[in-house]
Formats: sequence, structure tokens, C-alpha cells
Amino acid sequence: MRIAVCIKRVPDMDVKFRIAGHAKGVDETGLKYDMADFDGYAVEAALQMMEKEGAGEVVVVSLGPDAVQETLRKALSMGATSAIQLKCDEVPFDGFAVASALASELGGATYDLIMFGRMSTDNANGVVGPMVAELLGLPVVTACSKLEIVAGRGTARRELEGGAEFVAFDLPAVVTIDEGIARPRYPSLKGIMAAKKKPLATKPANLPEPRLVIARMDLPPERKAGRIVGEGAAAVPELVRLLQQEAKVLA
Amino acid sequence: MASSNAVFLIILVLAAAVFSFSAQRLVRFLRLGQGTHRFDALPRRIVNLLTIGFGQTKILRDPVAGTLHALVFWGFVVLQLGAIEILVAGVVPAFSYADLLPVPVYRLFLLTQDVTSLAVLVAVSVLLYRRLVVKPRRLQGDQVHGGDAILILSLIAALMVTLLLTSGAERVTAARAPAIVQPFAAALAIVLSRMPDSLLSALHGVSWWSHALLILVFLNYLPYSKHLHVIVSLPNTFLSNTSGPGTIGTMKAMDLDAETEQFGASDVTHLSWKNLLDGYACTECGRCTAACPANMTGKPLSPRKIVINTRQRLSEVAPSLVGADDPMSALPMHTGPRDDTDSGARDRRLLDHYITEDELWACTSCRACVYECPVSIDQLEIINELRRNLVLTESRFPEEIQPAFESMERNGTPWAFPASDRAKWAEGLDIPTLAELLERNERADVLYWVGCMGSFDERAQKTTVAFARIMKHAGVRFAILGQEEACHGDPARRMGNEYLYQILAKQAIETLDRYRVTTIVTACPHCFHQIGNEFPQLGGHYEVIHHSTYIEQLLADGRIALADPVAQRLTVAYHDSCYLGRYNAIYDAPREVLRRSLPVVALVEPPRTRDRGLCCGAGGGRMFMEERIGERINVERKKELLATGADAIAVACPFCMTMLADAGKKLDSSVTVLDVAEVVAQHLAEGVTAVPRDVA
Ligand code: SF4
Ligand code: SF4
Repeated sequence: MRIAVCIKRVPDMDVKFRIAGHAKGVDETGLKYDMADFDGYAVEAALQMMEKEGAGEVVVVSLGPDAVQETLRKALSMGATSAIQLKCDEVPFDGFAVASALASELGGATYDLIMFGRMSTDNANGVVGPMVAELLGLPVVTACSKLEIVAGRGTARRELEGGAEFVAFDLPAVVTIDEGIARPRYPSLKGIMAAKKKPLATKPANLPEPRLVIARMDLPPERKAGRIVGEGAAAVPELVRLLQQEAKVLA
Repeated sequence: MASSNAVFLIILVLAAAVFSFSAQRLVRFLRLGQGTHRFDALPRRIVNLLTIGFGQTKILRDPVAGTLHALVFWGFVVLQLGAIEILVAGVVPAFSYADLLPVPVYRLFLLTQDVTSLAVLVAVSVLLYRRLVVKPRRLQGDQVHGGDAILILSLIAALMVTLLLTSGAERVTAARAPAIVQPFAAALAIVLSRMPDSLLSALHGVSWWSHALLILVFLNYLPYSKHLHVIVSLPNTFLSNTSGPGTIGTMKAMDLDAETEQFGASDVTHLSWKNLLDGYACTECGRCTAACPANMTGKPLSPRKIVINTRQRLSEVAPSLVGADDPMSALPMHTGPRDDTDSGARDRRLLDHYITEDELWACTSCRACVYECPVSIDQLEIINELRRNLVLTESRFPEEIQPAFESMERNGTPWAFPASDRAKWAEGLDIPTLAELLERNERADVLYWVGCMGSFDERAQKTTVAFARIMKHAGVRFAILGQEEACHGDPARRMGNEYLYQILAKQAIETLDRYRVTTIVTACPHCFHQIGNEFPQLGGHYEVIHHSTYIEQLLADGRIALADPVAQRLTVAYHDSCYLGRYNAIYDAPREVLRRSLPVVALVEPPRTRDRGLCCGAGGGRMFMEERIGERINVERKKELLATGADAIAVACPFCMTMLADAGKKLDSSVTVLDVAEVVAQHLAEGVTAVPRDVA
């Protein structure tokens, strides 16, 4: 089975973001980057399928400047077979532009399965996967938390509010992956060394003009400091009074 | 030459041949290990050989069994001289030291032989009694060779009895010296002299032959027994690095650029020949396991088992690896695997088949095992090499440490705190960063390396602030790195992730060198050990001072003014941190700080203290793992500390602080845990500037 996994390099979320001077994005100084969380699950799921089959190929694809090579190498060190960088100076915010570039690369090759994370952890649009499916005329299953492929046919589990749904589909197909499918493995040093020797191809990204851009970015307003009314049961009447009269959350 | 002498000569030559055969075989097996340089720093090695080896200092840490064993050991050394005389005389009957030595020296020789043989006999009898009747716990478990020990002890007893009988019988026929230099043989001679001559000469013959033959049997049995330590322990002590040379407790340096697919060890051939020699040297005494906090609290880890397993695995696989080179394979009686077609042994390995993951991850790297071992075995190095293989080669580890690895990589700290919050504790305290000083063209005398616990952990931050206040009070010109500080990777290294460690450590060295830092103070023993003792492996050389030592010096110099002591008597139990104590021999400085800052303090010690101190359970990356098996180490330790009746527990390590404070919740104890810096900071005379002693 040939699987392509599209991955994105995103800033680490454990930091306090600042807005850049132009107010159209975050200030990138001091940010650390890594593979987007959901993409990590997708890579892991793909590797497990390849290992289970004992044959096949996992190709990781990423769009962006040369810095994405680091993210691609990480996927290679986890065990992916080869990597493709679709080179451009900046990743556009417009999911359609990204999807078009990816589709023009992926459409030419014969993949049984094209995988994505459910959404990128930075922009959280979640549209690129479905758009690629549309552009390539393939079926798409989004947010899979389980995936099984048997003899050219796939079954996916999707979590719903209070239940689950099982979707059957034919290959080739596009799937986007939710967390919980498989915990991404930690690359061993052996894997890291091996990754240095694996093929990583760089091609120019075939990007159309973006049809949407970020106009402005704001931080959420600072939360006001809380107030301690008192302690124990004695404080309850005052608390109720404040909730009714000041906060107006109680009738 | 009488025919009996000729027979003995033949036996002697045969015995020597078989022994050299066995010895060569063992050496071939050792050669399967990786190289390691163990002939550097000769003076230090000789000192270790004389103290730990001949002086039996480690053995004597157990007063009863230790004294008995030391007696047997010293007795053995002394009796070697006699054994040589006996063996030579077996071939050349006229041979006697009497003809070679001046009379007083010869008499001294006789006296030592006589007294020693009886002393050894008594000691061996008590040891046998101990094994057969008392059965101490430390000598059980781990499939130790109990029968082997009893056989060897009986052999020694038989050697002594035959020796005494021989000397006694000799004295009846021809006393070579006055009774006073052979008191016990002389006493025996009185009894034996009642025998008819024929019986006496038969007795002499039998005891002489049995003694001589037993020596040869003993010698040839050793290579196949755990009592190989009789031969190997002295060389092992000489070749060991556990008590120096170099810096004690540093992990083995590792070249990550080496062309290899194997990182760390999963089998004996990946270990160094010294690790393999450790297997030969182990006496199975169990001192290591008895001191192991993991073992004590019911984890599967036993450092003795790690060493025994190494030896077992080596004897299993080595014959097939040396193949035709194995002298044993030339023997008709050889039944073992002959060549590398034997797949049984080849399919197994040290990891998994002998030593399991649960054992390896239970280790707190407290070094108690290494410290106690009487023959200078490094159990911890084997554990660390196996951990390295698990992480670097196989990516197998408890899942809860993956976030710690990832966070170290991304945030420069094992916890998920944003790097930008690192210096938050210092806000409003007017503490400069090195970058700020550089801008102002100023210099700091020392860099305060705060460490991740001290920077992010709410409880540890209080210690951080306390130490900063003390330095300010004493007028120390210090600075911090602020947001430029990041984890040096020690937790990663301890957990086997040498790759991540080297990335982080090299970054830290780069930062320190950029500011030309020379002197560093820190309140964390792990930072202290890592930067001071292990950075040199990667080219970072700094003078690092732990805050307990630094504050002690400030107090001694009179640079800290203390408020009038509160006239309340406080009883404090100090808990030793492994990385200060056993790793760096700092035991007195923190105690001294407490004594100087609390004039009415009463320091109490739990039974396990100083170099015997019990670990808090956080080291070796255990801080980041769940403690799923057995009792909790921190609770065990806290109980010991509470049993002293102390009003407060003092620590000098943020990890010990967390572990012992957490244990308090489980034990429902309100006894406070304080860092030594906090104790001092509480008593600072604010507004008073101390007059340094050298000025006053
Ligand atoms: S270092 Fe400590 S925890 Fe580890 S094996 Fe030795 S005694 Fe046990
Ligand atoms: S490793 Fe050392 S302390 Fe442990 S059983 Fe062997 S000889 Fe004794």
C-alpha cells in the first residue's frame, strides 16, 4: 500500500503568543516549531498500517520554506520511507491554495491512501484534506479515530457526541485523523541516523493566488482578577448577592 | 627425588595447566566486551587497591560479617607465603624458609602462619554458622549460589584443619622453633605426641597431602564458582572507576557520531570488558541490593541480580562467540555449544531474557549499590547502558516520560511550562541577567544557575528567592541567565536519552561560554553535578558551587548578619541528597549551615544517613515516572525522618523537597520540609549589613 501523509510545521502551543507588529500574525521570535499534533497521529497511523502489512511505503509531504525539512526529517526518523517538500516562502492562510498545491503533486502519483491530521494546530481550519479530496475526485472521511484497511476497502470510526459512526469506503481515498488513533512514537537515535540517509525531494509548490488573507489578529482580552468574598458557609449569602446583582448570572 | 615427590610434581604441573587453561578462557570471554581505558591515574588506582582492596574498607561497613570476612581475607594473604613453601617442599622435600630467612624473621613467619590459620578457622566456622543457621536476608534471593558458598567455606575450613594438623605433627617429630612461636601447633603437638609413631607419621602424610591437594582443588574450582572473586576482586578494584579516578558518578561518555546502529547495550557484547569483569568479581554478598531503595520498596530491581545476570549471560553466549577459540571446545568432555551455529544462546540476549524493562526503569541512580559494593562493581553503569539501548536504539520507555523528552526539546524544561516564564520568580526582585549586565558593561562575580525546578516549581521558587535574598544580603554580585537559561539535559541523560542530552548540554555550554562564565552557584544538586562534573566531557569547564557550600562560606566569612536567635529549641533532621552526598561527598556543609544559622538547633540523624542515606525516590528520571510497583520510596524515607522526632526536615535539593513534602500528604504529617537556604533566609537581620570577618 502506498500512503501519503501531509504534515504541517506549526509553532509549539505551550508558549504565550504575542501579535507581530503588522497585526496579521504572531510574533515568531523565540517560537519553537514541531509537527502539528494531529499530523503526528496521522504519521503514526500510517506507519502502523505499513508495519502491519509488512510492505508498502509511507511518503510524507509538507508545504513551506526549507525549515519544513526539519519536520519532514522527524517523520522520516519515525519511520516514513521518503519525503517531499513543496517549496514556497510562506505557507498561505488560504486552505484552497494549499490544497491546490498538494493536489497537483499527489494527483500525479498513485497513492492508495492520502492522510491528513484533522486540522492544523495553528490555523485550525480543517479544510485542506477535504479540498484535496475534492480536487482529486476521491472520497474523504474526516476525523477518523480508528482506521482499518482490508483488501482495498477501508473502515473508519468517527467519534460523535455520545456515540460513534463507522464509515466504509473504497480506496483510493483521503482520510483526516483525529487524536486517539495511536500515540505518535518517539524517534529513536537509530531512526534519526537512518532518516539522514532517506530521500527528501524538494519541488517548487504550485500555488495559486490566495483568495483569502488574514486582515487582523487579536489576543483574547485579559481576564479580570477574581475576588474572594469570604470563606466557608458564611460567605454564601454575599456570593449569591453578588452573582445576582453584579454578575447577573443568577435570577 | 622420592617417587612421591615426582608424583606431586606431575600433579602440580597438571593443576597449573588446567588453571591456566581456565584463566585464558575467562580472559577470552572478557575480550568480547567493548574497550575501556582503565590504566590511567595510577596513583588513585593504587590507593583504591590498598584501601578498598587490601584494607577491606567497604567490607568493614558491615561490622560483624565484615570483620569475619576481613579476617579470612587477611588470613589468606598471610597464608599464601606458607602455601608456596608447602608446594615447593612437595617437590623439593628439603626446601624450607628456615634455611633462607634469618631466625627472628622465620619465627615471625611461623607465628603468623600458626595464629592466622586458627583465626581463619574460627572466622570461617562463624560464617558457616551464619549461612546455615542465621540465614541473613541479604544472602537470599536472586538465585544466589548458596550451596557454592557453603562448599567454599567448608573447603577453607578443611584447608585450615589440615594445615594445623600438619604443623602439629611436624612439631612432634622435629620442632623447628620454640613453642611460643607456634602456640596452637604446639598445643596440638602435645595431644598428638601420645600417638604411636606409625599412626603419627600416617596422620602427617595424610594431612600434608590433603592440604596440598586441597590448595590445588581450590585453585581450580575458583574459575567455575562465584568465589572467582578471590582472584578477581583485587584487580577489579584496581581497574574500577567507582571510587575515582576522574569524577565520581559521571555517566560514561558516549560518541554519538560513531558509525553504529547499536547505541547502549542490549547484550553483554555491547558492555565494556570491565562490566563483564564485574560479573566475575561479584561475591553475591547482596550488600548492594540491601541498600537499594527500589528493592527495599518492592520493585523488581536488584543490583546484585543485574551483575549476576551479566555473568550468567556471558557464560551462556561466550563459548559460541569465541567458537574455535574456546580452549574448552578442544576438550573431549566439552559439551557446550561449539560454534556459532548454536542458535539457542544467540537468540537470547541480556535485555528481556535476563533483565526486564521494569527493573531498569525502577532505578533512581542513587548510587547506594555502587557505594556499598566491597569489590568496586559498577552496577549503575550496566543499568545506564541498558537504558540507553532502550531509548536510543529501540525507543522503548514508560510512556509518561515521552512528554518530558518532548518538553525538554521544545521548552527547554522537562515540564510543560512556557520558556518565557522561566524568570518569573525574579520579577520585582531587581536581579540582573547577564545580558543586562553586558549591556551596562558590568560584570557579575557568580552566575546563579536556577535550574528548572527552582524556576518553575512553586515550592522550589521559594528556595530560589531565599537563596537570592541571602546573596543580596551578603553583597554578592550575582546575575541569572533569565530566559536564556534552559535545561542542561541531565534528566534526559539519566533516562537514557543521550542524544537529547547532548543537544541541550551543548546549547547550555554555548550560552555559558558566550558570557565567559567561570563561576556558577546553584541550589540544585543535579545541576551542580551535571554542570560541574559532566559538562567537561563535552568541553564545558566551570567552577560550580552548591548553595549549601556557598552559604556555609558566607556564614563562615561573617558576611551574613543573623537576627537575634529565637530562644526556641528546634530539632531538625537533615536529609542527604544522593547527588550531593554519594556523588560529591558534600555531607557537612548543609549541616554546618543549619548549625550556624540556628544557634539552638539540635540536629538529629535518621539511622540511614550521610553516605548510607536513603534516596527520596526522584533521581534517575524517576521524578517523571509513575511509581506503580511496591511501596513509595518517598513515604518510606519520610517515615524514617519523622521517626527521629524532628520538628522540621531540612533538605538541600528541590527534588528531595517535592518528594518529601508530597510524602507528608500521604502520611498526614504536618512536619515542615525546609531548604537550608530558607532556614537562613528566615533569620536574616534585614537592614543590617554584616561586617566581613576579615575586615572587622
Ligand atoms: S542506583 Fe540506587 S536505585 Fe539504582 S540499583 Fe543502585 S541502589 Fe538501586
Ligand atoms: S555487586 Fe558487589 S555488593 Fe552487590 S552482590 Fe556483588 S559483590 Fe556484593
